[in-house]
Amino acid sequence: MDAWGALLDAFSLPFMSRALVVLLVLSLVAGIVGVLVNLRGLEFISDGLTHAVFPGIAIGFVWGGREGLFAGAIVAAVLTAIVLAVLMRKAVPVDAAIAIVFTAMFSIGVIVVSRQTNYVGQLEQLLFGRLLTISVVEVVQTIVICAIALLLVGVTLKEQLFRAFDRTGFSAVGYRPFVLDLVLNVAIALVVVAASSAVGTLLVLAVLIVPGAVARLVTVRLWLLFPVAAVFAAVAAWLGLSLGYVASVGAGINLPSGATVVLVLVAGYALALVGRLLLDRLRAPQPRPAAVL
Amino acid sequence: MDYFSTALIAATVIGALCGLVGSLVVLRRRTFFAQALTHATFPGAVAAAMLGLSIPLGAFVASIAIVGIMTVIGRVRRQGSQVASGIVLTAGFALGVLLQALNPSLPVHVDSFLVGSILTTTGSDIGLAGGVLVVAVLVIVFFGKELLFSTFDASGYRAAGYREWPMELLTLGLITATVVTAMPAVGAILAIALIAAPAAAARLLARTTGQILVAAPVLGATAGISGVLLSRALDVAAGPAIALTAAAFFLLALAVRQIRSRAGSSRTAALPTRPASGRAAARASLGWES
Amino acid sequence: MNENDSQPRTAAPLALHVAGASFAYAQTPALEDVAFDLRAGEAVALIGPNGSGKSTLLKGVLGLIHRTAGTVEVLGESPAPAGAVGYVPQADELDPEFPVTLEQVVMMGRYRSLGWLRLPGKRDRAHVAAALEAVGLSERARTRFGELSGGQQQRGLLARALASGPRLLLLDEPFNGLDQENRNALVDTVKRLKADGVAVLISTHDLELARDVCESVLLLNGGQVAFGPLDEVLSLENVQRTFRSVGVELDEHTVVVPSHTGH
Repeated sequence: MDAWGALLDAFSLPFMSRALVVLLVLSLVAGIVGVLVNLRGLEFISDGLTHAVFPGIAIGFVWGGREGLFAGAIVAAVLTAIVLAVLMRKAVPVDAAIAIVFTAMFSIGVIVVSRQTNYVGQLEQLLFGRLLTISVVEVVQTIVICAIALLLVGVTLKEQLFRAFDRTGFSAVGYRPFVLDLVLNVAIALVVVAASSAVGTLLVLAVLIVPGAVARLVTVRLWLLFPVAAVFAAVAAWLGLSLGYVASVGAGINLPSGATVVLVLVAGYALALVGRLLLDRLRAPQPRPAAVL
Repeated sequence: MDYFSTALIAATVIGALCGLVGSLVVLRRRTFFAQALTHATFPGAVAAAMLGLSIPLGAFVASIAIVGIMTVIGRVRRQGSQVASGIVLTAGFALGVLLQALNPSLPVHVDSFLVGSILTTTGSDIGLAGGVLVVAVLVIVFFGKELLFSTFDASGYRAAGYREWPMELLTLGLITATVVTAMPAVGAILAIALIAAPAAAARLLARTTGQILVAAPVLGATAGISGVLLSRALDVAAGPAIALTAAAFFLLALAVRQIRSRAGSSRTAALPTRPASGRAAARASLGWES
Repeated sequence: MNENDSQPRTAAPLALHVAGASFAYAQTPALEDVAFDLRAGEAVALIGPNGSGKSTLLKGVLGLIHRTAGTVEVLGESPAPAGAVGYVPQADELDPEFPVTLEQVVMMGRYRSLGWLRLPGKRDRAHVAAALEAVGLSERARTRFGELSGGQQQRGLLARALASGPRLLLLDEPFNGLDQENRNALVDTVKRLKADGVAVLISTHDLELARDVCESVLLLNGGQVAFGPLDEVLSLENVQRTFRSVGVELDEHTVVVPSHTGH
């Protein structure tokens, strides 16, 4: 099988094309929500939300099976988004507070799940998803919920950018940052929910963080950030899925599909990083900012 | 000694260690860094198991590489520390999962990596944690005032003629060692609870950094012991029980602080925080001499 | 410098009225018992050492921190009518790597009047162009904000405040570390704004500047030390009272006395 064939033919298989559709929708999300996550520095909040969804999924599943899973996840995610927005207003050390909230939520989830028989299987499914066994219904669910998240962010986009650039100036003209924080947190939470049953929280997190960071390396033009992030995510998803397919069909190695896509995303990031560093070196040597770890 | 008393001792030592080093994590705002570290050491642990080496050793070697990568990314313009943590977290975790999937027979599993198993800790695990605890105490006794200064006001610290990187390296080393030793017992995700919650609770109530450094390890150890006892009484997993106890301490501290400030005590604790920016020096000149 | 023609202007309407106002962060009092008035077309300089409450007062007027006592009225209303107040923060509090052009920053000044959902139109672009013109940065409109010099960034933030058409303008130490050219450009802009009837409140360390553009001075040091016309308030005794706590050495050679008698 030639490489070109793998990049195209593989997706004539229904399960491959369903996975691709979900990942392309997520790429769009990466292009908008992910860029805002980067500009606002909400990487840790996103990580927190992926963990906090867990008890919702666990409790929802115990109560209502597969349908309950979705409802539970949405309730947990939106609740956590609100709690985190409230914590962001308080003077307590925010990063520690986020960590405590999400580990507590996660612990509740583990306790609920550990009373079930297939505990490890469910945990792994939540983390890594079942990218290749997504049903059509799940594809539709993902698209609808991602569309809501995109709508939430889209209607507040210019205000979100203002807030990201200059918080004090933003409040000074009479906006209320809390409302915007809430909208963005809920949007992130919805994305996490939409994707976590299908692609797993690990991949959602990578989609929210990596393409935005790549876009920042590639361009300094504000409106270019969004398409760059989306296209990068889409290409990485396509390559990642193809790679998994080739490894499985061609070499008989079963790569976990979600983790493969994440690693392709990260490899793309590494390329962009090295390219940026080389470009900066070629141009006039500029003073580096102080190390901030 | 039966497995339960071993678990209690492990919970005490690891809780105290996480509380102590957690104070540095919270005061220096390195929680996300610690979180990224826990996830990113996963491939190190898997690789060590593949090669038949000690798992904590593998995790430790991996974390040194990770700290290096994060330092590089953190220095690149337009990237910064949050991005560095996020990238390393997802990359490390994905790599670990990939390695594990390719070697399904390995004794390193995702679930025990994430939530740990304190009931299976061994004497050598406890010895390792105890050793790190002693080192952490010594570091804080001997370098406490430099650590405090550089944490409170990094630019002032540099202005006073100190170099910042030794303190940074020292803290990173302590955080890394703590994460690696705590993980077999409480797991990657729950280790963060034990690192962040007791220290954050202590920070809410204590008036001085010295009080935080004493209160946080005590709270951490208490959370560890109560968690293990609760897990036996209620028949739930020990790791989550410890994490929830620690989180409950934080909530309690938050409530106490709220009541205190509502009671109108104007003697609110002078909390050590990092100042927003180091513009003080720039403003010192009054500019009307001309 | 300070022409004595300010008498008739006192008839101008009050832009800002502060009486017996105290402000607090959480439970900690930050600034107590401040009272002053600012009329349209005039400027007040806020002067005091670091931590004396200059920024606190600006944030208090903006309604960003809690007022524990007294009144703050903008154009006779409390809270301030929407869009009436423009605020210019210090440029060094912003992320120099943020991917926005100067033009995009100035456009942010239009967002509030645009409202949600709507995108900037021709009229907004005209306002932005006019604001950039007013601060003399038209030719740098498409430069990335972080690539501008500190002084140009400060002027850009002033343009952002202007783009919203404020009646009261608050400037937080706008002249810190500016070179002569940027300083002059900023002074000219502020003077023109005053001529258009905008009231200006400037926190500064620069007494020279206060003399150039302000009619009145408010001395702060945790509370109000003095308020009144520039020449009356900037006495040796008052300035000593204001700055004593920071150990600034003062004598008759460094204190500002009316310039024709100066050394």
